[in-house]
Amino acid sequence: MLVHEDRVSTGRRAPLDRLRHEIEHAAEFLPAQGPINVFIHHNTLHAFEHLPFHQAVRDGARLLGCQPYLTKQQYRQIMERGRFTMDDLRAVLAEHLGSAGDESIAGLSTRFDLRMAMLEHPLRLGTDEELRWVVAVSEGLHRFRSDVPAAVRDRTIQETRHWIMRDVLGSGQAAGGQDAAEGDPTAEVSHQRDRHIQAALSDMMAEFGAQSIESWSQTKWERFTLRALWRICRDGVHGVAGRTAPPPPPVRHRDLLLLATGEDTDQLVHPLLIRFCAAFLDQGIAPWPLPSREKGLFDAFIDLYSLPGGPPDAWLAGLRRELKRVRAEQLSPLESIRESLTLLGVEPEEESEFITATMLALRGWFGMIWQTEQRADRVARAVPQGSLVEALAVRLILERLALTFVARETLGYAGPLAGLRAALRQRLPKREPVSLDQRAFTVFELAQLLGWNLRDLNNLTKAQWTELVNEIESFDSLQRRQIHHEAFERRYRLQALDALHQMGPPPAKRSSRPRFQAVFCLDDREESIRRHVEEVAPDAETFGVAGFYNVPMYYRGAADAHFVPLCPVVIRPQHWTFEEVVLPLEHVARRRAKIRKLLGSLVHRWHLGSRTATGGAVIAATVGALASVPLVGRVLFPRLAARTRRMLSEFVQPPPITRLQLERVEASPGPISGHVGFTVDEMADMGERVLRDMGLLTNFARFVLTIGHGSRSLNNPHKSAYDCGACGGSMGGPNGRAIAQILNDPRVRQVLAGRGIVIPSDTVFVGGLHNTCDDSITFYDLDRIPRSHSEEFKEIVELFREVRARNAHERCRRFQSAPLNITPEAALRHVEERAEDLSQTRPELGHATNALCHVGRRSRTRGLFMDRRAFLTSYDPELDDENHTILARILAAVFPVCAGINLEYLFSYVDNARFGCGSKLPHNVASLLGVMDGHASDLRTGLPWQMVEIHEPLRLLIVVETTPEAMLQIMQQNEVINRLCRNGWVQLATQSPDSDEIHVFNGERFEPYEPQGTPLPEVATSAQWYRGWRDHLGFARIKSPAEASS
Amino acid sequence: MDPSTLIQILGSAAVACPALLVLVLGGCALLDLRLSERVVSHLTRWAVVAGLLAAVGVLVVMVVQGHSREVVDWGNWIRIEHEALHYHFSVKFVFDRLSVPFVILAFVLCGTIAAFADAYLHREQGFSRFFMFYALFLLGMVISALAGTIETLFTGWELVGLSSALLVAFFQDRTAPVRNGQRVWTVYRIADAAFLMAAIALHHFTGQGDFDGLMGSGPWPAGTASLAHGQALFVGLLLLVAAAGKSALVPFSGWLPRAMEGPTPSSAIFYGALSVHLGAYLLLRVGPVLECSLLLSAAVVLVGAVTAIFASLAGRVQTDIKSALSFASLTQVGIIVVEIGLGLRYIALVHLLGHACLRTLQFLRAPSLLQDYRLMENAIGDRLSVRASFWSRWVPGNVQRWFYRLALERGYLDAFLNDVVARPFLRLFRFFDRLERKLTDAISGGPSRESDRLRPSALDELP
Repeated sequence: MLVHEDRVSTGRRAPLDRLRHEIEHAAEFLPAQGPINVFIHHNTLHAFEHLPFHQAVRDGARLLGCQPYLTKQQYRQIMERGRFTMDDLRAVLAEHLGSAGDESIAGLSTRFDLRMAMLEHPLRLGTDEELRWVVAVSEGLHRFRSDVPAAVRDRTIQETRHWIMRDVLGSGQAAGGQDAAEGDPTAEVSHQRDRHIQAALSDMMAEFGAQSIESWSQTKWERFTLRALWRICRDGVHGVAGRTAPPPPPVRHRDLLLLATGEDTDQLVHPLLIRFCAAFLDQGIAPWPLPSREKGLFDAFIDLYSLPGGPPDAWLAGLRRELKRVRAEQLSPLESIRESLTLLGVEPEEESEFITATMLALRGWFGMIWQTEQRADRVARAVPQGSLVEALAVRLILERLALTFVARETLGYAGPLAGLRAALRQRLPKREPVSLDQRAFTVFELAQLLGWNLRDLNNLTKAQWTELVNEIESFDSLQRRQIHHEAFERRYRLQALDALHQMGPPPAKRSSRPRFQAVFCLDDREESIRRHVEEVAPDAETFGVAGFYNVPMYYRGAADAHFVPLCPVVIRPQHWTFEEVVLPLEHVARRRAKIRKLLGSLVHRWHLGSRTATGGAVIAATVGALASVPLVGRVLFPRLAARTRRMLSEFVQPPPITRLQLERVEASPGPISGHVGFTVDEMADMGERVLRDMGLLTNFARFVLTIGHGSRSLNNPHKSAYDCGACGGSMGGPNGRAIAQILNDPRVRQVLAGRGIVIPSDTVFVGGLHNTCDDSITFYDLDRIPRSHSEEFKEIVELFREVRARNAHERCRRFQSAPLNITPEAALRHVEERAEDLSQTRPELGHATNALCHVGRRSRTRGLFMDRRAFLTSYDPELDDENHTILARILAAVFPVCAGINLEYLFSYVDNARFGCGSKLPHNVASLLGVMDGHASDLRTGLPWQMVEIHEPLRLLIVVETTPEAMLQIMQQNEVINRLCRNGWVQLATQSPDSDEIHVFNGERFEPYEPQGTPLPEVATSAQWYRGWRDHLGFARIKSPAEASS
Repeated sequence: MDPSTLIQILGSAAVACPALLVLVLGGCALLDLRLSERVVSHLTRWAVVAGLLAAVGVLVVMVVQGHSREVVDWGNWIRIEHEALHYHFSVKFVFDRLSVPFVILAFVLCGTIAAFADAYLHREQGFSRFFMFYALFLLGMVISALAGTIETLFTGWELVGLSSALLVAFFQDRTAPVRNGQRVWTVYRIADAAFLMAAIALHHFTGQGDFDGLMGSGPWPAGTASLAHGQALFVGLLLLVAAAGKSALVPFSGWLPRAMEGPTPSSAIFYGALSVHLGAYLLLRVGPVLECSLLLSAAVVLVGAVTAIFASLAGRVQTDIKSALSFASLTQVGIIVVEIGLGLRYIALVHLLGHACLRTLQFLRAPSLLQDYRLMENAIGDRLSVRASFWSRWVPGNVQRWFYRLALERGYLDAFLNDVVARPFLRLFRFFDRLERKLTDAISGGPSRESDRLRPSALDELP
């Protein structure tokens, strides 16, 4: 290594450093997903957040080869389901065009009408051969499009008839020729064309039987009109210069070679590279680790592949020689990259683009190398810094070999690689982006739809034709889809804001003491359970906070091996806590831990042994057939099997009475005994902050439940993606438990009282965990509930049984495998079974459908049915200071977290195969870090189809209960929030704290929202509104029992 | 009822149930009748349960009667009698100690996997297609297991091959599955060709394709082949090639991990459980032929041993769970083949049955790997460690590396097949193609192939 440094330092450092920067810059475009067992939702296009949303999706989609929006067909299907309407399209288009919409295009239609027709109707496109087939053979020239209104069609035919009879047949004069001024240079051309058309029309009339023209039937006239129209369109667009430039040729040699020959060098390079990267990153699947792994990827590769007797693949014939040369010349990875770039003939100015494209070709694995290199603390076996550079160096060496080989085999090209691209560019088939026929066909279709008069069309000058064609082509597919996308968002936005508006101004503060207060995570999945709590117990209150309860910690459960961070991924915890079994049961715990250890090693041996030759043979031949018992049991009777397993495991689990070790004795925090935990002051600070954030400072109930959430399911590599995002993709139970223990501590309460928060002595905090998959709720430290409260608490637990069943029932309407008429109890059993079923690919639906985020008092949304689509964060503007300190710190977490979830779902839905990770069905866990499709694919990042299937790709609408001024001030202070709002990655609105007014942010300023006035339906219970329906539901108000009875 | 009639009925039912399932699912697909998921899964369940009950019924009757071999004969379908020429093609199913356990295994595993796939493929576009292929596979499996003549066995064998290749390529809108499906199909064709040649040779030598004619009608594993040493060697080697292709033995092992492109349940059923054992089953069935020739037995042992060693080596370096499991499977199949070569047929049978159950469970649970690792770590209380083996301590680094690379590259078997077999073949045929093109171009005085210019259909709505 020393030698490398020396050589590099002599004069070549600067360019190599720049090269490293270029690579690290390109790395920003790689997927930012870390190891899959800790799944953090984030904006898939995070690297583009500095751009406005629509610009970013286009740039991102182009760079990554993905779809920026849904296709028009998909939008139309969504419209057919009534999720948005033509009115929304019109409104959005009008807003986009402004006054330019009224301009007339070539005197035929206004721009607005033209674009609207293009939005409204499916326009077909095909190759020239196919279009000719459509017009010549199929119905294309026989009948008008079926979506042309009869009146328009009849008028067009009528007018054509009139025109033909009068101007063509009647006078024999050149049709429309009289309009052209004498002496005009274009007039001559236009005359020629007219004569041409004239001749064509005469021929056509002859063919149709000109002598009987007066008795032509309507269908015959229809055919004639279409034939003439097609003829005019073809003639019209002839010679019109298109403005759409062909896309620039790709920068990678491989892409050019693929275009020119159909041979894909990545098919050669990738399998080898995938195997090697996977072996390098492997966290423990293979019992035999990669030799020389510790020397780094580049050296390990050279060590391995410079041995004699290597792979016999013809394309790899030169590999050994090349690697030996690299080693002999002592090239560092960066030097090797530099050399490869030179050999490939990559010019300095395209270097950055080339490196980006090359790394993105295997983005999953390269991204994972980059992630593990950056966050070594998140994996068991870290990889050294610089691994990404080394991977690129290896890749380029392989790529050179593959290119040389394929170019020689398919093209007989034996020159230097540097000249390969130039040679290939010459071989590329030259194609006009839009051909004459294609252009004519679009005009032909639009003319039918808009009822353009044949005579008018025929009279258009070339300049007008150019104007028309350019106008059509400038409203390209991406713009059309953008309008659809915005219209889709508009509909939901109007519904949501209308609903919030109709909830009215804030109700008077409640004065009576609530029966209990339940705090949940702000997660959209907790919206329904909070609603059901309030329905079942109208005298209770609910709150929403980020699910880590502001207790950032490394946590280790009584039966866990390692500490895991329980806090948002942006925070690195400074404190450690663990759970331990209470002292009297310690010996039991120790004995069981021993048994677990024994069983664990046995299982591990079995796990490895069953895969080896001898072990596998012994196991298979002796007890193999017994495997059929768990096999059949778990597949056919999942709940029974689960119950049996749980019953058995009870004997080895730690005893149920445990304590959370929260208090620190020593001064400095650390993971070892004594250093674990927090000081009383730290606890008081955390407690104070969480209470102030959710606005719970007075009127404490006798019970305050602080409930975290997580999701337990089987056979699910993406399990962590269903867990609590605020707890770093883990189960959030310990955080709820910790905050309850903190706020029960009399010393903490004393400190808090000194700071003005008086918690009554009869208030008890109880921590809990809501499993969002099987809807179970576990409460912690029940043995510590005082005698005076125990009876009452039993009632609350009983009440939660009902809540769980109702919540399960509401969730079941989304599961096709649960009948619509299922009872709440059966629904609970159904969700329990889902969680235990090995074959269940949708144990729950996660954050799918999320679209709304409300930050404000629950009283503003209480009783509003939001269909599990809303993140709900509690915030009381009346308790905030004039600098909005509390709001600012809440939003600092809410914006990136909720927008991250929302945008990951959005992109994974829009292009599931590329932004997402496709169907779960062929997934294969690789290196314990991610999933592949099959045995050797790129690492698949993003969300699987089964998770996003029912999602609606809408940008999150964040409604904050504050004034526009306050919001602008916060945006000014916080760059992340500012960027997300101003660049349109989220939609933003404010709800006035003291009236029903709403302001919407339009990218620059807030504007008052004008309600559409659609009435908000009122129902007695949630079930009354959602039952019998699987699709998305609109908002509704659930009347409180008091209203219902009055 | 007369026990032998009962056997005839039950035995026929065991084959007829999956056949009916194929007819119904396939017929509906042909007529473009879309069956709902519920109907498809009910039909499948009934067919499998009925088939299983029939097979168990046969077993019960046989045990009660104390018979160890029963034949269900569906008669001669083709019969050519000529002075010097005799050929008959009979469809005949044999129930004996080999086929009954195997067919019951096939029903149990297929049934379980159908139940698994029912939920696993819920709302998947190709749901009906999957169950269609599945039914075809089940039918193939049952026919192969029960076949009493080499032609019948070949029929089942083909159905298994066809359905397997189609299931590998199940996700037909992506290139990798289709590519790998074709690869599996190609290897299967080589195996099929060998099988077919063996069948013809057998006819040539013994005048018929019936196994009882070949090996006597003694119950399995008894029986002696009525072949001369050289004949047995010839037929046996061909059958060994067939078995090697089907069971992914060396040198055909490359397709096994490639077959993981399909949905998890199909990977489980085919490569973990049944399909991969079919070659071994064939060798078990023709056991007496192996006995005729020591050389042949030695070849079988050799192929099995090389496969087992290779696969256990390759399995140790695989970094994705499905490949690791598929090589683990292959290791055991190799050992089973060794056992067969050594004449330990009962051990081989038990080994085969146990292994199929074990591996199916492991395959179905493969997506749980992350959770399993976490559970184990929590129980042990530490990271999972791998003990430094004898290998890593005593063997010099470069030798280790050499073997590591061999294992990582899956024994270079694919490269070998590509470059040594496929490429020369392709070159030859491309040469002919060029020749033909030149000729036709010359005749038509210009480019003669319209297909060169046409592109695939792109007629679609503007996006």
